Amino acid sequence: MTAGQLDRDKLFTARLYAARVRPYLATALFALHPVESRRVPTMAVDKHWRCYVSPAFVDRTPVEELAGVWVHEVSHLLRDHHGRGDRFALARGLTGPGERLRMNIAADCEINDDVYGDGLPRPEGAVLPGHLRLNPGELMEDYLCQFTLGPYTQGLSWLDCGSGADGLDREWDLGPDGAHGLSEQERDAVRFRVAQGLTGRGSTPKGWQRWAEEVFHPPQPWRELLGAAVRSAATGPGGEDYTYGRPPRRAASLPGVVLPSLRRRPPRVCVIIDTSGSVSDVELGSALLEVTAISRSVGGRRDLVSVLACDAAAGVAHPLCRAEGIPLIGGGGTDLRAGFARALRTTPRPDVIVVLTDGQTPWPSERPPCRTVVGLFPRDRVAEWDEDDPDQVPDTPPDWARVVTIG
Amino acid sequence: MTSSALPEARRLDTAAALLDLLADTATEPRTDLQLEALTLAVAADLPVLLWGEPGIGKTAALTQLAAALDLPLTTVIASVHEPSDFSGLPVIGDDPAVQGVPMAPPDWAVRLVRAGRGLLFLDELSTAPPAVQAALLRVVLERRIGALHLPPGVRIVAAANPRSSAADGWELSAPLANRFVHLQWTYDHDVVLRGLGGTWPRASLPHLDPARLREAVAFARRAVCGLLATRPALVHRLPNNETRRGGAWPSPRSWEMTLRLIAFATAAGTSREVLSMLVRGTVGDGPGLELLASLDRLDLPDPEALLADPSSAVLPERGDLRQAVLDGVVDAVRQRPDQARWDAAWALLVTALETGAPDLVVVPAATLAGLRRDDWAVPAAIERLAGAVSLSRGADHAGVRAEAVVGAAR
Repeated sequence: MTAGQLDRDKLFTARLYAARVRPYLATALFALHPVESRRVPTMAVDKHWRCYVSPAFVDRTPVEELAGVWVHEVSHLLRDHHGRGDRFALARGLTGPGERLRMNIAADCEINDDVYGDGLPRPEGAVLPGHLRLNPGELMEDYLCQFTLGPYTQGLSWLDCGSGADGLDREWDLGPDGAHGLSEQERDAVRFRVAQGLTGRGSTPKGWQRWAEEVFHPPQPWRELLGAAVRSAATGPGGEDYTYGRPPRRAASLPGVVLPSLRRRPPRVCVIIDTSGSVSDVELGSALLEVTAISRSVGGRRDLVSVLACDAAAGVAHPLCRAEGIPLIGGGGTDLRAGFARALRTTPRPDVIVVLTDGQTPWPSERPPCRTVVGLFPRDRVAEWDEDDPDQVPDTPPDWARVVTIG
Repeated sequence: MTSSALPEARRLDTAAALLDLLADTATEPRTDLQLEALTLAVAADLPVLLWGEPGIGKTAALTQLAAALDLPLTTVIASVHEPSDFSGLPVIGDDPAVQGVPMAPPDWAVRLVRAGRGLLFLDELSTAPPAVQAALLRVVLERRIGALHLPPGVRIVAAANPRSSAADGWELSAPLANRFVHLQWTYDHDVVLRGLGGTWPRASLPHLDPARLREAVAFARRAVCGLLATRPALVHRLPNNETRRGGAWPSPRSWEMTLRLIAFATAAGTSREVLSMLVRGTVGDGPGLELLASLDRLDLPDPEALLADPSSAVLPERGDLRQAVLDGVVDAVRQRPDQARWDAAWALLVTALETGAPDLVVVPAATLAGLRRDDWAVPAAIERLAGAVSLSRGADHAGVRAEAVVGAAR
């Protein structure tokens, strides 16, 4: 082998090793098409799943570190950093190469947590959230809001994982029409196969598990989901709809024709707020904000929305019009069954019950005679497990309720 | 005479002339995947539901489509209608006990039926109250409006705003959602620029190859049945989580629609991209992607054919597909082992090594070596796989070194 030529054997040995220590990424690693390039500083990817490789970099890097770079680069593609970067830039009106460098750094922070260790040694100079005084385990978008280019990032201006990492086209990119690129459908197919291999596999890093769950179903804004769930629960039988119950206004002009009319019966909504010790004040504050939003979404009749603070014993239902200061007394354990019973005893009975809770509670054993929407504050189930009382397993919300995860 | 001195009526004429000039736009053939998907679904006579933000050009696309297909366009804004506009108004006659109460259809339906053909566009579907949606269910499914029956020449397209932007929207009921092919409608910057400049992309009906019809149906049946035979859980799955409500979900009905779409796409030679949009929009992302993955596997060369004639084998270029083929070949030898097949598999591995990345060959070669029976002679071809062996050894060394680094760090 002459000097300066790409050592293909070394490059592919590294990929083989990477596929051995990360078998769940094998499909994606093998789908990458390597292209020799003297213009990339190390290795870089484009969004068509080509991997540009510098021969000099391959020469000077040990196989196991090279394997780490393979996994690093393919992670950028699997996690769609170029697409997410573009969307982030569009949403915030960001332009310029400095911003793209920031995206590359933030993307690296997101993946390097999961890439190294377990057979892949971390190379010198790999960017970790800690280097920028940031918390580990967050997403690229979160990191992008938390740092600016400055003293902590000065050593990183050489960083370049290519257009596949930050969305900005490079001069060495072969473009969509170049050889061996993957079409959008092929990229989705590869991502899908990797995600499928990941779900139901026990021993993969948490970051990858989260990715596999969300790759084709990104989480939606919970406010819209909660609003839609409440609206849909409120517009069932009893809400605004057409009836033949009374003649409509235009009936007089059409003798002999029976017309239906639109009758609006705004639904009564009862909101049960879990005030047990396990729900924080911040969460309760945001829950109250949602209560006002919900009351607006069902027609703005605040007298039809009542609020019930509930811990082990349910308090008194307060109509929302008096509730600028709803007494959120409580603390201690929760028993939402008391809350349901109290809500159903009010006259007239509510059409919809909205429960805002962290779910650490027993649920009614039977479906209540009205629609139920549950706004669930997420909890790390394992961490919340009660060490003193291992038998007490919190129930998940029953399937007769529509559940929206909040936050 | 200056223009300001024109009489009032003439000024309006000038305005009309200006409007005519503005309306004078041309169309051009242009690759537009979402338009192609829409056209194919309309050709396959499946109801389409376009999801898109307000003002994104859904109506404009429909106008183009109607012009291209030469179908009269009837637009009905679902949210401003009453259920009776779709189910018919009960009209009491002279003797209801004898004649019954007929359900009178609205005028647009009468005109549509009289024309015998047309494009019915149901706009703002998601903002229609539940009772209107229930009435629409019958229009979309049974193609009936009151006592009228929509003739086969009428195609149905609907549009809705996504939940995130529909301020006062109701969500689509699961039965109604299951009857549509859901297409996400986004705008393409270049298309909008060209369009505002006076040239819009042209929608044209897919050209179905008459010679391929039978083959297309057989292929579509094989694709759908092949997947569902091994994945019975995919046949019917109601959306159970909030994010998936109102969208596409798998049921025997939507699988039948998928089958029809695959057949049309195959006969028309449509790209996988367009088929992907359509299939995922019919049975949902997960089942749709599984179907596409199994289609990809149907496209791969058959291991038995490769073993029968290894010298003329052509392996896929893409690494992950190539590995899948080699695994399939080794697996076929394992199923029915004999020396000739074993030798043929070695020849294939040599071809793979010579035409592509060497790391793909390592695992299949190790597995194949393990299948050897005592009385089988080692083929000469194995010598040429020495490169793969050294690769594997290199990876072993890397593992040892990485282990040492971790050990030292502790």
